[in-house]
Amino acid sequence: MAGIWVFVDQKDSKLKKVIFEMLGEGKKMAQHLGEDLSAVILGKDIESLAGPLAENGADKVIILEDDKLAGYTSNVYASALTALIKEHQPTVVLFANSSIGLDLAPAVAQKLDTGMVADVTEILYGDQIVFKRPVYAGKAFAHVVFDDSARPIVATIRPKMFIAPEPEAGKSPQVVKAVTSEFGDLRQVIRDVVRKASGRVELTEADVVVSGGRGLKNAENFHVLENLADVLGAAVGGSRAAIDEGWLESQFQVGQTGKVVAPSLYIAAGISGAIQHVAGMGSSKCIVAINKDPEAPIFNMADYGIVADLFDVLPVMTEEFKKILAEG
Amino acid sequence: MPTRELFWQISNHWLIYPAFLLSLIFLVYGVMKRIKLWRLGQPDQRWDALATRIWDTLVELLGHRKILRDKFPGLMHLFIFWGFLVLTIGTAIVALQADFHINTLYGTFYLIFSLAMDLAGLVAIIGILMAIYRRYIVKPDRLDNNSDDAVSLVLILVILVSGFIAEGLRIIGTNDPWAVWSPVGNFFAAIFAGLSPDGVAGAFQFFWWSHFVLAMFFIGYLPYSKLFHIITGTLNIAAASNQPAGHLALIDLEDESVESYGVNKIEEFTWKQLLDEDACTRCGRCQDNCPAYLSEKPLSPKRLTQDLKQYLNNVGPALVQKNTPVSAGVSQEVAAATATEAADDATIIGSTIEEEAIWSCTTCRSCMEQCPVKIEHVPKIVDMRRYLVLTESSFAPEVQLAFRNMENNSNPWGVGWAKRAEWADGLDVKTLEEDKDVEYLYWVGCAGSFDDRNKKVSKAVVSILRQAGISFGILGTEEKCCGDSARRLGNEYLYQSLAMENIETLNGYGVKKIITHCPHCFNTLKNDYPQMGGNYEVIHHTELINHLQKQGKLRLNGGGQQLKLAYHDSCYLGRYNNIYAAPREVLQSIPGISIAEMERNHAASFCCGAGGGRMWMEEKVGKRINIMRSEQALALEPQAVATNCPFCLAMFEDGIKSFEHGEAVKVLDLAEIVAEAMEKN
Amino acid sequence: MNIVVLVKQTFDTEAKIVLDGSGNIDPTGVNLVLDPYSEFAVEEGIRIKERLGGEVTILCVGPDSAQTAIRQAFAMGADKGYLIKDDQLAGGDSSVTAKILAAALGKIPHDIILAGFKSVDSGTAQLVPRVAELLKVPHVHVVTKIDIDGSKAVATKEIDDGFEIIEVALPAVFSAQQGLAEPRYPSMKGIMQAKKKPLETWTLDNVGVDAAAVSTGKTKVIQYTMPAERKGGRIIEGEVPDAIKELVQLTRNEAKVI
Repeated sequence: MAGIWVFVDQKDSKLKKVIFEMLGEGKKMAQHLGEDLSAVILGKDIESLAGPLAENGADKVIILEDDKLAGYTSNVYASALTALIKEHQPTVVLFANSSIGLDLAPAVAQKLDTGMVADVTEILYGDQIVFKRPVYAGKAFAHVVFDDSARPIVATIRPKMFIAPEPEAGKSPQVVKAVTSEFGDLRQVIRDVVRKASGRVELTEADVVVSGGRGLKNAENFHVLENLADVLGAAVGGSRAAIDEGWLESQFQVGQTGKVVAPSLYIAAGISGAIQHVAGMGSSKCIVAINKDPEAPIFNMADYGIVADLFDVLPVMTEEFKKILAEG
Repeated sequence: MPTRELFWQISNHWLIYPAFLLSLIFLVYGVMKRIKLWRLGQPDQRWDALATRIWDTLVELLGHRKILRDKFPGLMHLFIFWGFLVLTIGTAIVALQADFHINTLYGTFYLIFSLAMDLAGLVAIIGILMAIYRRYIVKPDRLDNNSDDAVSLVLILVILVSGFIAEGLRIIGTNDPWAVWSPVGNFFAAIFAGLSPDGVAGAFQFFWWSHFVLAMFFIGYLPYSKLFHIITGTLNIAAASNQPAGHLALIDLEDESVESYGVNKIEEFTWKQLLDEDACTRCGRCQDNCPAYLSEKPLSPKRLTQDLKQYLNNVGPALVQKNTPVSAGVSQEVAAATATEAADDATIIGSTIEEEAIWSCTTCRSCMEQCPVKIEHVPKIVDMRRYLVLTESSFAPEVQLAFRNMENNSNPWGVGWAKRAEWADGLDVKTLEEDKDVEYLYWVGCAGSFDDRNKKVSKAVVSILRQAGISFGILGTEEKCCGDSARRLGNEYLYQSLAMENIETLNGYGVKKIITHCPHCFNTLKNDYPQMGGNYEVIHHTELINHLQKQGKLRLNGGGQQLKLAYHDSCYLGRYNNIYAAPREVLQSIPGISIAEMERNHAASFCCGAGGGRMWMEEKVGKRINIMRSEQALALEPQAVATNCPFCLAMFEDGIKSFEHGEAVKVLDLAEIVAEAMEKN
Repeated sequence: MNIVVLVKQTFDTEAKIVLDGSGNIDPTGVNLVLDPYSEFAVEEGIRIKERLGGEVTILCVGPDSAQTAIRQAFAMGADKGYLIKDDQLAGGDSSVTAKILAAALGKIPHDIILAGFKSVDSGTAQLVPRVAELLKVPHVHVVTKIDIDGSKAVATKEIDDGFEIIEVALPAVFSAQQGLAEPRYPSMKGIMQAKKKPLETWTLDNVGVDAAAVSTGKTKVIQYTMPAERKGGRIIEGEVPDAIKELVQLTRNEAKVI
């Protein structure tokens, strides 16, 4: 059997952007290997997701629904998915580098006694498929290949590295209803889930990130950043300093020990640009730096920099972006 | 023949002897009790080079060198001291005549004696009155008042005045023909002119015996009051450290039997450190220039000393008892055991001295510089830090980060050690590995290697050395942090490992002469490394530049700069190593440059706040020290602030910019000013 | 409580990464440290011991140099350790390491197993779920808090936009995220004692793993490359309001990100 599978991370029946990016690359891979592309979803009441998945390139949508799959728990999902994989024998299974993907992919890889490559940022197609991933906090890239006997290939994909396809509106999904009784033993019991809803787009998903550091001086000043984020539809992040000072919660930390982001536009205000922060945003397409210290290292890697007090810059910048976006 | 009857109207004057004996017993008993407390401390060799010690003590004692730094209180004490000293010598002369029949009090000598005694007494009274005025009317911040102060002042005053009254009565009573040679006594005599002869005699006896009894009381009372400083202050000065200023004891870390490092119990201090506590008179000069105290941190060197004294008084006696062999019955043993338990539990940090106070110190040594009795505050603070770091592992997270950075990458900033020589890219500077046949090693230091602002100073130093044709090399990535921050923060283990590695590298290359632009590196390499086998001739870049100018190898023509500079004496160059003149000479020799002295300059310079490892710590309480010093600099309306230390440079850059009127003021290292002013070939 | 902590020795995060001629990472002069995530796990392990009693055992797969990392854990307060090293392990990947660790854990009594959730060098974060699967025990990945109650534990797991509270039965494996436990700085006593604590070296034979089974991993790194030099450093000069305007225009017209 064959096939490129994309495991679909879903939360409250909403699809993360990275899924479409994986479908885009999955299509490429499928064409290279002469196989077809399937989206695989586990859960309950998830059929409505089949449509968008097909529109974005999935030849087949494999759905496994069961009460036991209502919420994600590690061993149950891993057992079920492993059973499906054993039945259908895909060549490649792609997961998103999300908290579910990070947890599920290795468990499945181990159950199948196969290899896994994590946090892939580029795929090279030649005699072998080479998976490129950042190591040493992005200071180098490792090129990984799979042993011929290691199948399926299991990989987790970093968001914003691959390109989502142009959706084919109205394409109807070819749904395959999967059935299994392999749910494993319930090793985890979820006692509570606390979602910190910020109302904003999530950091790793965002196209634009506006980030603040020590230069903000206190928690109240972050509203200056938030105004800009509102105008740009951006996520708000912070350097380690901002989190340590208690101005932002830890989930907003961008950096080596926080989140790694790669938006199209990263605006760093009052951030000096220490290597640990750069490790978290160095792959951003365009970096804008605002700092009143002309010697701040961040200017060395910023595409555009302004040496000025961020409190002077941000309000004006907000207005300017507002104007230019209104132009359409 | 000018003379006088020694015991006029005084019968039974043999009573003097038992009375004197009694007060001596009280004196000796009191002193012995205090000595027992000091001996609870660890050993410390403080009696070497005895001749020099005695000489230095005499200079301080008789010349009041340190005390006179502060004019009013200095004079005040000088008067009291000299007045008392002369009176004591005079009394001794009388005793020699009265008891040993060495008769000197006749003729011209007697007249001079009489005059000298009177003037001495007068001067002493003036001193006491100045003291009373200062303490109770002026009420300076650094003085706190308690009954001990009042009693001491009143006691001395009454002794002096009663002496004069007695003299006056004697003059009247004996119709002294030489009265004019006792002018003050004579003045008092006039008051009693109207009394009857019997009245005079009776009054004289009263005042003579009162004077005597009070004087005896004074002697016996000495060890139980602040007057004890007469003995302890002198002893403390004699036992003062003769090592370089920033000297810290080297801990033997190989000894595996040691359970605890640093100090958290009174007996872990040395006997000298305990003597310090008894020498303190609460004069408060240490406080007056302390950057921690003045910026409202919970540290006051005076309070530290007094709190430790209080603690010694509280737990010391029980510990002494524990050490005393028990000879009598069970009840005494039981009593000793319970006392032992209580004493064992008593620890210093947290109860007597709060941790926050221990960490607030910048090790600037202003306290030690000012202290007239040479109390050694800073080593005690480092000792307590050593306990917190080495034994308890209790310190702020940012300090832990600094330690780990020094461990992993040999610099407190934590920048990759492989990047240490990148500042020199393109300058064609050779490392010793490439060429070790150079005259000097330029020790760049962590700031000069990794801090963006300070890298410019390193480059300036290189251009100066090149201009002067000096043969030098750098260690490049083989250089590690000198360890100063680690040591002053109390991490003796980290310091010793860094020092050992550096010394091995330096000795491996046969380094003899080292130039450094950082006073902390300068102090550590010069004064600390010899403890571990590293002996080098270390010279600070300002000294070198001064030297080169004098040799004509460097000519400074100003380069068109017109700058009024506020010059800041860094602690580690100034107070630690007495380098004040060389940098000034250099700056003043540059045409177009003028120096403005800050109010607190030279040995009284105010710390920038970064020393003692505080560069790596958050300043959470009180005012920011660097802001305070920047304000002091800006008060001179300078065009630039000149520093000679990378930490000061960083502190001023931050501090000056925080003021609106500081926006246009430059902050420059001496090397940068000189490099700009060099006559180029 | 038998607490086992899986640790790894990695390059110091500040290390300059340099490639040798054949596309491999040049290890000369690189400072090796106990991986920061392993440190969180070690610290948590020691805190659990301090709360509930027991022993902390360190387990590490690595070369001889990894002994210093294990000694660092000893200085913090771990009690004993095992270093599994074998010349035949050169070509391993996470699947290999997991097998070896699982086999070793079969020989060591364990109630709680802790590890870093990823490591700062290769950072694949695969190890803990793999080891848990091999041992057939529960795991909680990316944990910021652990509460133990007898034979159960409740852990706080960090997820993309918040956290979950998960209960598992012991024995279980937990992977440490930053925030679980700030590692302590060893005291002098700790440093002295670390030199004496027992550190045993095991080969694959000792662990009961067939060398042939682990001689190659399922995946292999065929080469390393360096990222493209980012061309940065452009400062927009001029009066601040004008500079801002210019910058905003550039993000649209030049960078095309708005």
